[in-house]
Amino acid sequence: MFIEIKNAKKQYGTGEAAVFALDSVDLSLEKGKVYVILGPSGSGKSTLLNMIGGLDTLDSGELIIDGRNISKADKKALTAYRQEDVGFVFQFYNLIPDLSVEENIEVVADISKSPLDIDEVLKALDIEKYRKRFPKELSGGQQQRVAIGRAMIKNPKLLLCDELTGALDTKSSLAVLKFVEKINQSYGTTIIIITHNEAIADMADSVIKIRDGRIAKIKENTQKKSAAELDL
Amino acid sequence: MKLNKRYVRNIRSNLSFYISASVLTMVGLLLFYLFYVAGTGIGKYGDDFFSRNNREDASFTTMDEISGEALSELEKKFDVQLEKERYVNTEEADGKHVRVFRANKNIDLYEMIEGRAPEADDEAVISAGYAENNDIHIGDKVTISGREYKVTGWFLRPDYLYMLENLDDDYKNITTFFLAVLTDDAFDKAFEQPSISYKVIYNDTDNEKDFRLAVNKEYYTLSYLSADENTRITFVHEQADMFILGAWVMLVMLPFITVALISIIIGRKIRSEQKIIGTLSAQGYKRSTLMLHYSLLAVIPGIAGGVLMTIAAMLLSDKFGRLGLADYEPMQPEFKLPILIAAAGIIIPTVIYFIAACLKVNKLLKHDTVELLSGSVGTQSKTHRMLADTKLKVRKKFAVRSVLGNPGRSFVVFLGVFLGAMIVSFSYIFIDSVRAVGSQAMDEFGTFKYEYILNTIQDDTPENADPVMVVAYENTNGKRFSLMGVDKDCERWNLTDSDTGSKCDIEDGWYMSSLCAKIFDVKAGDEFTFRSISSLEEYTVTIKGIIKNGYQNYIVSTRENASKITDIDPSLYNCLLTDESRSFDGDIVQEIITSDTFENQMETMLDEMSGLVYALIIIGAIICIAALYVSINMLVSENANNISMLKVLGYDRRKIDKMVLNGNHLLLIPGLILGMLTGFGAMAWYCDAFVETEGLMIPVAFSLPHILLTICIVTACYFVSLFLVRRKIEKVDMIESLKDNRD
Repeated sequence: MFIEIKNAKKQYGTGEAAVFALDSVDLSLEKGKVYVILGPSGSGKSTLLNMIGGLDTLDSGELIIDGRNISKADKKALTAYRQEDVGFVFQFYNLIPDLSVEENIEVVADISKSPLDIDEVLKALDIEKYRKRFPKELSGGQQQRVAIGRAMIKNPKLLLCDELTGALDTKSSLAVLKFVEKINQSYGTTIIIITHNEAIADMADSVIKIRDGRIAKIKENTQKKSAAELDL
Repeated sequence: MKLNKRYVRNIRSNLSFYISASVLTMVGLLLFYLFYVAGTGIGKYGDDFFSRNNREDASFTTMDEISGEALSELEKKFDVQLEKERYVNTEEADGKHVRVFRANKNIDLYEMIEGRAPEADDEAVISAGYAENNDIHIGDKVTISGREYKVTGWFLRPDYLYMLENLDDDYKNITTFFLAVLTDDAFDKAFEQPSISYKVIYNDTDNEKDFRLAVNKEYYTLSYLSADENTRITFVHEQADMFILGAWVMLVMLPFITVALISIIIGRKIRSEQKIIGTLSAQGYKRSTLMLHYSLLAVIPGIAGGVLMTIAAMLLSDKFGRLGLADYEPMQPEFKLPILIAAAGIIIPTVIYFIAACLKVNKLLKHDTVELLSGSVGTQSKTHRMLADTKLKVRKKFAVRSVLGNPGRSFVVFLGVFLGAMIVSFSYIFIDSVRAVGSQAMDEFGTFKYEYILNTIQDDTPENADPVMVVAYENTNGKRFSLMGVDKDCERWNLTDSDTGSKCDIEDGWYMSSLCAKIFDVKAGDEFTFRSISSLEEYTVTIKGIIKNGYQNYIVSTRENASKITDIDPSLYNCLLTDESRSFDGDIVQEIITSDTFENQMETMLDEMSGLVYALIIIGAIICIAALYVSINMLVSENANNISMLKVLGYDRRKIDKMVLNGNHLLLIPGLILGMLTGFGAMAWYCDAFVETEGLMIPVAFSLPHILLTICIVTACYFVSLFLVRRKIEKVDMIESLKDNRD
């Protein structure tokens, strides 16, 4: 298995205010597949993504990614892990406003050991013509494509997308999802998408439903659709 | 109003800002209070002390002694008070110089500040500064004219609050020179033929000229020195005025700069709250309510810093003031911070912060509420495209844009470095400049090793020495200088024309020292009018050239030319320049000037002033650290989203530091250079403005070790601030910051 999560627990707050964001989660994910995690707000899906992405650490349990025990990694190892192995795409893009499109992507290429060719990435995401523009000068969909480019430039093993279409209109959402699909197909990148939008689940190899910090259901998608076929 | 609950919470969550801003306000006020308290305390003490002890209006000596009866007649005729002062200068076996007085009865009275007046013939009281400096206790013995006296106390005199052994000295001497007063009987027994000088107080100043002419006519005036020209007296008020002037300059400069600096920070902090302001505005909050709310938040550092510093200043005003007493005898001023000044210290910064916040909120509220809600006001700088087409690394582009795209924030960083460098360098330049006086003065005097100023006129032909005639004159406003006659082939006195570099043709006219030229505003070719201090007869000479000598106030020509003005035979002299030490028959040496004289005076000055100088260096370092901490802290807060994103992208701390913080290095070098240049300029201005007060032209110097030390101190302060702020970068939470990133 590419990702192995065993009895993962994460609690926020103490006493009466304690919330179990992850409560004994066990999960196995394969390499090169597209996963969609569905769940209501506060169900723990973002917490799970943060743990997988090395942004936060478990209180207990194990998280093994590509044979590496992330749950026991120190700060430095987590930084190195984020630097090389994992790419993030967020709902609100989180681009650096003072950097142009090209520079926002280069900022990751600069610290990556074997980055992809930036022209190739810009071309693949169809944002080549905006390379000198700044985030403020782009639409939401264009910004999200830049964010995907930034995540992909390092050619990560794992792409984590947190509500990546949450701030986009239908047309832009479809375009962005097509690019995510293309990345999975072109580079064999394992993709985990967190969303409220159940329609997106149709493009996943596997759909994981999460509720109150627990895995409620895992469903293999036998009739997987391409992004273009999604009815958003 | 519920909104007011934010005050305490806002202080808690921005504690480091409020502390730093309050510290900056306090440090700015500290300098103002320090100088003001010292200046007013010294000035007031001087006035009271002079009045209490009947300070002279002038002192003079005459060729013929004036009898007691004649003094009484003069008093009646010219409505003056007169006192015949008897004194003796002695040099003891241990090298100490003593000026022993018979106690005056009417003018320039001595005031005991410890112990009691002498009652027995073997008792003496001595000057307080010497006693304090040499750790002399009541009951100890001092040697005066070879005889031991028991010290019964120490005193101050109104004409010796600044303890110059000789009037031409550039700094006090309390290590090898002191005053002593014996009982009248003891004095009369010990000294049969004391020196005599006269002290005068004019009840009607209009009579001064007539009185002087009458004295000269009857008794021939040898010297006349008005209190306004007596550095031992004038220094009290000149230094006090200098402190007060310094205080107002400080109030205008430093607090203004720190207040401006904090105002910029407040403006940016308010801008960072634009979403809240937009939300409140959307909820129906009035502009005036919001302005008041944020202005009250902004006045906190003004009130906190102002009140704390004012309380500290009131409690420590005595310690503040005493820092300014280094040059004087141990005066006992009462140092107080006036209520009005204290109120101004609190109100001025507070009002400025209030206004700064009002203006910022008002400016923000001119933007569309939707724009405020999105937090986009002022977030896109005009410089964001800078370097877009270059091949520079993104990290460097980011750093440059961050610095140039946020001029207010960068200005605060620059100002922190600038102020630190300016204050620290000013302090070191002061030290170097004073030392330069000690090492350079003799070069400007000439090649002699000893200058003996004699208290009698000699008529012999000295061997291996240059004889000089020196007579004091004054300009028409009563400012004194020396008129000197030297041999035309005199080699020991510096006679090099500073313009031509060639030897002055003194047979053909008069030359002036650069100090004299500065004081009297005379240039080569100008006519210079002056008068005799005895007959008040006026003379006019043309100044042929200027001799570089910033330490002595004189005009010089041949002894023959000098004779035409002084009416003293050109073969006579009262000053000798020699290459070796020599002894004289009788007590005829009034003053000896050697290279050690100046160096010792300057080293004493540095010792005495070191407290104030090092206090300034510490203040500079505090301002530097506080200003940098606040501004860089602000930079981290404003970049929290970028920092969290960089962390998510796999940037380690070192790389984030390079990208976010290290851009400020760009400001370090210009801040240092401009700060040091301004410190140098400020010292040059000070030296130029206070030539008369100091009685010398201080060469402004900044030694390489002190340049390096300034750079090291300021750079260390800068990196200490960065180090403190780095902890804040580590604390930026990836998840929380990303949650906040809503566009």
